[in-house]
Amino acid sequence: MQALTIDALDSIKEMSLTLLTAFTAERAAAHYADTRIELSEERGAFCENGEAKYSGMDYGFSFGVRVLAGENSISPGYFGLTLGAEALPRFESILKDGLNHAYERAVANARWKSRTKNRFKGLGESLWDTRLAPAEICRDTVAAAFEIDPLSISPRRISRFITDISREVMGLTSSIIYNQIAASTMLLRELFTSSEGALLDQTFAITHGITYVVASGSEGVQEHYDDIGHQRGWEILENGYHGPYLCNKDLRTFSRELAQDTVELSNAPALRGTDDSVTVVTDPHFNTLVAHEIIGHPHELDRALKMETSYAGRSWLFHTLSHNQRGKQVASPLVSAYSDPSLPGFGHYTYDHEGTRGKKVYHIEKGISREFINSRQTAAILTAEPNGSYKSTDASLVPLIRMSTTVFEGGARDPQDILEEVDHGYYVVGHRIPSIAESRENFRITARKVYEITQGKLGRLFRDGGITADSRDFLMQIDAVGNDLRIYPVSNCGKGQPMQSKKLGNGGPTLRSRARLTGTGG
Amino acid sequence: MDDQIKKIITAGMEHLTSTPGVCEAEVFASVNAILTSRINYTSHLPCNGLEEPKSTQTQGVGLRLVFKGEDGLKVGFGQETGSFTMDAIESAYRKALEGAVHDPDFQGLPAPSAEGRVLWNYHDEKVLTLSDADLVSLGWKAIHAALEECERSPLLGKHTPHELGLILGGDVTVIQEEMAIASTRLGPVQDDTSTIIFTSLTSMIEKTNSKGSGWSVGTHLDDWSGEAGSMAVRRALQSAGGKEIESGIYPVILAPQAVADIANNILIPSLRLDMFYAGNSTYQGKLGERVTSELLTVYDNGSKKGLAGSKGITCEGLPTGKTELITNGRLSGLLSNDYETRRMLRDEKAQDKLGVDPRAWQKALVPRNGFRFGPGGGRNHASLPSIAPTNVVIEGINGTTLDELLRKVGRGIYVGRIWYTYPINGLKAGDFTATIVGDSYLIEDGKISDPLKPNTVRINDTIHSVLNHLLGIENRQTGVVLWAADEVIYAPHLALSQLRMSKIAEFVESL
Repeated sequence: MQALTIDALDSIKEMSLTLLTAFTAERAAAHYADTRIELSEERGAFCENGEAKYSGMDYGFSFGVRVLAGENSISPGYFGLTLGAEALPRFESILKDGLNHAYERAVANARWKSRTKNRFKGLGESLWDTRLAPAEICRDTVAAAFEIDPLSISPRRISRFITDISREVMGLTSSIIYNQIAASTMLLRELFTSSEGALLDQTFAITHGITYVVASGSEGVQEHYDDIGHQRGWEILENGYHGPYLCNKDLRTFSRELAQDTVELSNAPALRGTDDSVTVVTDPHFNTLVAHEIIGHPHELDRALKMETSYAGRSWLFHTLSHNQRGKQVASPLVSAYSDPSLPGFGHYTYDHEGTRGKKVYHIEKGISREFINSRQTAAILTAEPNGSYKSTDASLVPLIRMSTTVFEGGARDPQDILEEVDHGYYVVGHRIPSIAESRENFRITARKVYEITQGKLGRLFRDGGITADSRDFLMQIDAVGNDLRIYPVSNCGKGQPMQSKKLGNGGPTLRSRARLTGTGG
Repeated sequence: MDDQIKKIITAGMEHLTSTPGVCEAEVFASVNAILTSRINYTSHLPCNGLEEPKSTQTQGVGLRLVFKGEDGLKVGFGQETGSFTMDAIESAYRKALEGAVHDPDFQGLPAPSAEGRVLWNYHDEKVLTLSDADLVSLGWKAIHAALEECERSPLLGKHTPHELGLILGGDVTVIQEEMAIASTRLGPVQDDTSTIIFTSLTSMIEKTNSKGSGWSVGTHLDDWSGEAGSMAVRRALQSAGGKEIESGIYPVILAPQAVADIANNILIPSLRLDMFYAGNSTYQGKLGERVTSELLTVYDNGSKKGLAGSKGITCEGLPTGKTELITNGRLSGLLSNDYETRRMLRDEKAQDKLGVDPRAWQKALVPRNGFRFGPGGGRNHASLPSIAPTNVVIEGINGTTLDELLRKVGRGIYVGRIWYTYPINGLKAGDFTATIVGDSYLIEDGKISDPLKPNTVRINDTIHSVLNHLLGIENRQTGVVLWAADEVIYAPHLALSQLRMSKIAEFVESL
């Protein structure tokens, strides 16, 4: 059996569109259908404490379909399958079978919907016919960008590279008790076709390195992890990457620096929490997670429309269609924030997973709440324009509304000036772990490092600290925005059922605001 | 079990054991499906009711092979998805050979356990043959149960459905798992088939800012009903008109959902042997020591018929069983797989990591939890075994009734459901935070009193404080499946003398 390559999609590209068009034409109750097919080729390795644990190369092949159908009302049905190379010669019949399952589910779903509308007169009124907001029907091919082709890298080379780094980290000092390094590089090709005639063929190069370090020092054990990631080739791990907004050191330097930080922190005192808010200056890496949790997530329209009530939560910005924060002030006039799939990094794409061209969406403009990221279905509910934010982590899974790259917009201030103006406060550096309230109205996020600021100068370093605040208070009290916007990878954003752990991008510049400190200090 | 799976394993083993250079071989094959009826009903916003009737399926073979070469032993893993053919075995073999590494901690494939398999024939054929129409009807039956519950409420007479803002979200999920395994050490093919059906629903009444949860978990379709839908709405209706509380330290009762959330995110990760190897468990060096209140016992039991997370064998081909984790407050055992147990037994620093000599404590480190769970369920042929719990059972000595626990607390908070529970400074630190999202009440005079307003309280405490301030433990458990969790947690109500809480998000009231 020959391993599949991403070129194999060439042989099924036109067939899937033809099949889809015929499928919907032949079934009276079918209103719309789309297919997502993906093929990937990946190489990766993993090591612990300088010893190789795994290396390998593999391919992935999967598809998912959506059908909107029904006789008296319209409902969706879905079907997804993970495949192997043996499926390629008979893919047409497999796809047809998948469409049939999705169709049968949609038709049964629509029947139940009609029955429910009749059975529950008042409560059934909100059951609507599924519709998709109009979107430009595109046909396009988008190529991957890279310098060193991911497919030119052998698993052995990756294994040697990371094992060598892991040994180097282990050898830095005896207080490093454990480290783990993983790296992968891949090409991913996605094909989208719809019964409306869309035909999109996008290829992405994705390269990712993760380092995890545990160190034991005079103040106890510290564990920290961080990652490097971009839609580029192997070069970002071996040589680093230096582009607008996004730059990273090579994986070796990156891992060493993380290890040194971890050792330093294991000898630092724990931060003591405060009962009242204090001045905090938060750095771009920390604000990456703030942007993710309290800007991006509450601006996902599926949350706003209560579709995530049981899982990822709702949004405090949107109570009902007539009672919400759109057009109201939710942040300091210095604050603007947006999602933009044209930005570099994991969140970059041209078209989303229902064929909509990705657009820049302002969530907050000079402190005023603006737009949500959406899908065609949720855009139809709001009579908004679809902005291309419907994505899945694998073609076999149903897409969800997802951030592309969501950031705080850069400001005009020199970050050094922002720090030097603080008489007494704290400099919060590097994000660690978040816990956010259900509607994103409150957050607690820990930092890798917290420094005391005294008369504009950095003082003592603290471990195990962070900040907590109500989201609106934090945003409203921002009084300085730096000119140092940076984007970082967020590689494990969980949403959906079954859970989809997604790679995307977030970022921000240095910000100054007020929040309560949290920490394990006595 | 499809004979095709067992046949390919037998043929694959014959082929691999006669392949030059292969000195040990393991063939794992599986067929998995996750069928989900995802529900989104809103009485005040256009909705589909049943939002996503959907499924994902995968099948294939995974090989672990040990190669003998000029530079010593190497171990490699390769998989092929889709088919059970010799071509698939050959393809997976090539991948394993290409990626094989020298891992000094790898001491060979799992050998037979001294324990025997005890669980057989525990799945439901009806679950394995669910049709598209069946899948759709599961979701709608839960919706109907919820709407019928709402119809019975006097609130619906006072307000229109649009004014009420009734939300019902969540899913009915069915997991079908079939796996088989053989290896040069374990001998002939062993197989295992399991089925799980669980419902997890949340209801809100936005008019009254109240929230309730409904859930069920089981293994057989005949035991399933849409009752979780009515449970969620009933609880949401009961918790209308919630009160806020001030920041402070309160005596509390943690309900099973809250106990399960803390167990899943904070406690159980610290009871895995690989965490001890990395030096990162909050119970580092404390095996055999008292770590919680003496009232508490926690164990994992993967072999008990009727518990939803049970399996006949692990994904390493070893029997499942009961692993005591905390016994009357003492750390008595750890979750492990074969690789981690054997690695710890040879680790020069094991005494420091565990606090005891692992060779004297081998009964605490039996590898009963080597699984290849995929996201959302299934035994994934494309993964190597890692450590995962099955059914985690939490119980206490002198277990008592919920009424008695309420009397012990007297005045405090009943915490029904918490959310986003994370070890906020890492597992080792032991501290965690979460917010209270629903199903919660004030306790006055030893009785449930007014509802607690959802999303107005953040918990900030440590696992050590929680488990050392136990006043009592309920004498019955409820099965809980959490979002994205591998295991089913059978949790009782726990009464605590103190839990630290902060008031949050007062501004939302004024919006």
